[in-house]
Amino acid sequence: MSQLYEGKKGEKVLFMGNQAIARGALEAGVSVAAGYPGTPSSEIIENLADVSKEANMYVEWSANEKIAVEVAAAASFAGLRSMCTMKQNGVNVASDFLLHLVLSGTRGGMVLVPCDDPGALSSINEGEARHFAKLLEIPLLEAGDFQEAKDMLKWAFELSEEIHNLVMFRSVTRLSHASGSVELGEIPHTEPQAKFVNNGFILDPLEGPIVSAPVGYKHGLQQDKLKKAEELFEESPFNTYVGPENPEILLITSSGATLYSREAIHLCNAKDKVGLLKLGTTFPLPSKLIAKHLKTTDKVLVVEEVLPFMEENLKVLAQELAPEVGQKTFYGKRSGNIPMTGELNPDLVATALATLLGDAYSPQDQEYQTKAAQQVFFNAPVRDLTFCPGCPHRASFWSIHNVLAADNREGFVCGDIGCYSMAFLPSGFSTLKTLHAMGSGTGVASGFGKLGQFGLDQPVVSVCGDSTFFHSGIPALVNAIHHKSDITMVILDNSGTGMTGFQSHPGLPVDAQGNESPALDIPTICRALGATVEVCDPFYPYKTQQTFHKLLEAPGAKVLVLRQICALSPEKKGKKQFEMSVDEDVCLGENCGCNKLCTRVFRCPGLRWDEEKKVATIDEVICAGCGMCAAICPSGAITRKEVA
Amino acid sequence: MGTATLTKDPYNLIITGVGGQGNVLASRVLGNLLADQGFSITIGETFGASQRGGSVMSHMRISAGESWSPQIPQGQADMVVALEPIEALRVLHTYGHPGVKVISNTRSIYPVGVISGDNKYPSMDELKTIIEDLTESVWFINATDAAMKLGNPIFGNIMMVGALAKTGVLPIDRDGFEKVMLRTMGEKKTPVNLKAFDMGAEMIT
Amino acid sequence: MKLFAQTQLLEDVQGKGLCVGCGACVDLCPYFTTYRGKTAMLFPCDRETGRCFAYCPKAEVDYDEVYKARTGRAFDGTPIGPHLETYKAKAGEKTAECTFQCGGTVTALISCALDNKMISGAVLTDSEGRMPKPRLVRTSEQARDCAGSKYSASPTLSVLNREAKRGVRNMGVVATPCQALAISQMKMNPTDKPDFEDPVSLVIGLFCTWALDARKLEALLAEKGIEGKIIKADVPPPPAEVFVVETDQGTVEIPLSEVREIIPEGCSICPDMTSELADVSVGQVEGEAGFNTLIIRTQKGAELVKTAISQGYLVTENLEGDKIHNLATASANKKKRALAKAKEMGLLNTPDEEGRAAMRVSEGALNKIQP
Repeated sequence: MSQLYEGKKGEKVLFMGNQAIARGALEAGVSVAAGYPGTPSSEIIENLADVSKEANMYVEWSANEKIAVEVAAAASFAGLRSMCTMKQNGVNVASDFLLHLVLSGTRGGMVLVPCDDPGALSSINEGEARHFAKLLEIPLLEAGDFQEAKDMLKWAFELSEEIHNLVMFRSVTRLSHASGSVELGEIPHTEPQAKFVNNGFILDPLEGPIVSAPVGYKHGLQQDKLKKAEELFEESPFNTYVGPENPEILLITSSGATLYSREAIHLCNAKDKVGLLKLGTTFPLPSKLIAKHLKTTDKVLVVEEVLPFMEENLKVLAQELAPEVGQKTFYGKRSGNIPMTGELNPDLVATALATLLGDAYSPQDQEYQTKAAQQVFFNAPVRDLTFCPGCPHRASFWSIHNVLAADNREGFVCGDIGCYSMAFLPSGFSTLKTLHAMGSGTGVASGFGKLGQFGLDQPVVSVCGDSTFFHSGIPALVNAIHHKSDITMVILDNSGTGMTGFQSHPGLPVDAQGNESPALDIPTICRALGATVEVCDPFYPYKTQQTFHKLLEAPGAKVLVLRQICALSPEKKGKKQFEMSVDEDVCLGENCGCNKLCTRVFRCPGLRWDEEKKVATIDEVICAGCGMCAAICPSGAITRKEVA
Repeated sequence: MGTATLTKDPYNLIITGVGGQGNVLASRVLGNLLADQGFSITIGETFGASQRGGSVMSHMRISAGESWSPQIPQGQADMVVALEPIEALRVLHTYGHPGVKVISNTRSIYPVGVISGDNKYPSMDELKTIIEDLTESVWFINATDAAMKLGNPIFGNIMMVGALAKTGVLPIDRDGFEKVMLRTMGEKKTPVNLKAFDMGAEMIT
Repeated sequence: MKLFAQTQLLEDVQGKGLCVGCGACVDLCPYFTTYRGKTAMLFPCDRETGRCFAYCPKAEVDYDEVYKARTGRAFDGTPIGPHLETYKAKAGEKTAECTFQCGGTVTALISCALDNKMISGAVLTDSEGRMPKPRLVRTSEQARDCAGSKYSASPTLSVLNREAKRGVRNMGVVATPCQALAISQMKMNPTDKPDFEDPVSLVIGLFCTWALDARKLEALLAEKGIEGKIIKADVPPPPAEVFVVETDQGTVEIPLSEVREIIPEGCSICPDMTSELADVSVGQVEGEAGFNTLIIRTQKGAELVKTAISQGYLVTENLEGDKIHNLATASANKKKRALAKAKEMGLLNTPDEEGRAAMRVSEGALNKIQP
């Protein structure tokens, strides 16, 4: 049984950051949690969904992040504690509702948990949600380790209820996806009752209707709430200081950078010279606490990811405090000591610290490093990202690429977010030519499709995943249809939210909690919108290409649904449909007529080129048995046998 | 806190491999095994997009004291467990030093650039020589082939855990492993994993 | 023959706009395909030599070498090429009524060859909508369905390649001059394939002044508002200067100046009007509808014609001397224009240090043609 729910108070467990956050929510007695999957946030909802029945929770994967916040807000309005999770980009999607929500205020404690991805380890941007806290004028909390992730999240609900407004709890990849020891607290066993009280006086925050008007009044009220939060922050146990009374350098940090900073001080052997002020409450900054620490030193190094958010807020505050604390010199991103982009690590912080201390930090034995670097350069071929063996996307992009090439009118594909984003790489035959936010491929295509008026005569194609279709693909398609934009939208339906670990979405017959749910049929929706719709299986490339060619010729907005389940889906994982084999006598290999099409061009990881025999072979450890390579082999050397 | 002690504190372990090899599971199992001994564990992981054929890495910090950063500083790995041999080499470049130890699987997974013919993959003999030259001690085991005999290459990760236990560099043993398996995998899946653990241990001589 | 591969083919032919879409490079491998009359590359191939380049009629064609291999004689620039006899011909009573461009000679000869099992099948050009659609036919009934000139360039040889790959042998092909040239190069097994078997046993060549780009023709017809099914298209002899399109909804004339705009650039360097590398060649007879000019070039061609006449597929008459003369003049003019154009483009006998040539011809032939 899961320690997440069963773990007893006082027990010490090894938790992933996202589990710690989920446990914090359980200990806070959260009733409703909603989110949209996105690395590194997904495991929070997944973990809560797993225990939702025992914990008497309602947990959902919403169609998109804006809806997730709206669903969670409803629970708050009805007096329940609620939470919503998403990756950094999700906050952009939700921001429209959020700007209204923070004016209207909340009732039951409500916490927004965005997980940022410094270094874009699993993203195509490294945008930050922290800036939204300032824009939304709501308190921002950032945990410095795994224990805090749990404890602070629980406290966030209390804070939200105290100020009657939303609280942002920001995590990052290196917390969410790292694991550490966590001592558990109590999970309350209460039976919260939901009731939406709305008949009171219009300005009554607890009994009136919940609206953002009158804006002037509500905005003032909102800022009072923020002021109150700042006062509470002054005494917060999540702001800690370790170091000498009068440090040579005061290092101010927060979030994941806390562990790097701590280790950097250790690496520089500088415990006596450097003071570490770790802030858990990063907006608004507790000014009295900051003043107290600024007084102790002249030099301040600010360490954070990614942009100088805290650094700039600290500088403004320091200027206000200057008459009291004196003028300080700040080091950080704007001084060039800490990189402005990418994620940090102990070495980067140690390098910055050593420079300020007048030292040099050399992490590795130089001779060893040089030798290893040479060996890696010559003998460790890079491992580019690629579609998994048996991935239907490889097959889909094979057909998309070939049709556009054969069509020979310089057609191109606009893409968006999902595993299929990788189609801009050779593994997707470099088919994607634009890549932006969720649903943007079809929106951008809708625009391209109207440029015929200005002479654009290239076929315009967009790709969109099944989950993305429900998230934001539908409005883009609606736009294209209504404006008679000449596009072909290819919906790559692999029956799940593949990239993030196969979470459910409205097109599936099951929800996050495992309940049977009505599955919305994508082709039916598209037909109802008025599009010409065809459905093909990408593992049958001939039929797929014929159909795609036909759609490409037709005017207006058309939809091709390429439906084949993800190779990593729980239903399919580890099960081969076909046993593949290569007839060495038939394989043309490097000869004219093939020239290693399967390995050199198709590039499925399940294939290998036998340099000695000059034939293709199947790597049985890797091959997923999808059968696609048999369909593309020009000489019929690759054959497939149905696995009984 | 148990009676077990570490040869170094924090002890820095890296588990590396290719997306889909069960890197994360191996690090969880090891982490739990060591946490049960009372150690403070921090694990940093890369996954997400990297799972799609990319290199994956788990950094494990094992300490009797405080929590350490989820990213090991450069040149400070004590032990590298590699589910794929060139990943061992890649890790040594950044995190290795003359005193590092390595346990490496010998079954290669070709990067897509090798499959396409754009890059070359060195021979296993060449790789062994290179890795031996960059380490204090190294064990090469063919975990994948052994795992295939158990019916699924995925058991390779547990074999590596068994092999690691056998080397004795960390205070972990079969009983502790069994306890973790029963707790996390349940009774049904424990026996086959124990078998994999034993097969891994047997390959260390 | 100088051998190169895809990279050079793309550079020399596609890159210079010389591709006529004959289909010679298509379906030999997974890298070239044809769609709606256009040849396209799907993926790059890094081989140093390839059949795609070797077969292409616009890339490094050594005319002497090809003519010697095919006819036993060097290319000497004679206007209508090596031949045995010339006739006027038309379909006989055994070839059922259908719409022919002229006399139905091609359909008659193919039907005869199929019925007598002289060939196992014939690669012909049918239509799909307004696009040429090559296919392999197995019977004379199927052959008759393909009758009628198409006027747009057709990737006919893609079907030949596809069927050859499937193991079909002893095929007949109805080919334009560029296609007959490609087939001749194919027959030479230029890449020395050890298992090479010549899949073609009969080539019926068509006279050709130029073809039209299939996509551009479709667009031009649409622009002219021409609807309905096209029954026939024709260019009447000078001074008409029009392109006549006969549809089931009436006849439309398009000025020839507009039509010339959509001739593929590659046609302008083609020196062959009468399909000199075929077994027999068939074309119009100037000023005489209902008859074809028939040029018998090889023994195989002669035998086929003999059989066709004896079995009632074909009727022949003598071709008048002035008509032979006119044909030779037109043919010589095409040679002259083509070589002049190739020379102007730097594609004739290009010295190695300056790159690759589209065509290489001997000094003697050059003197005779006088471009």
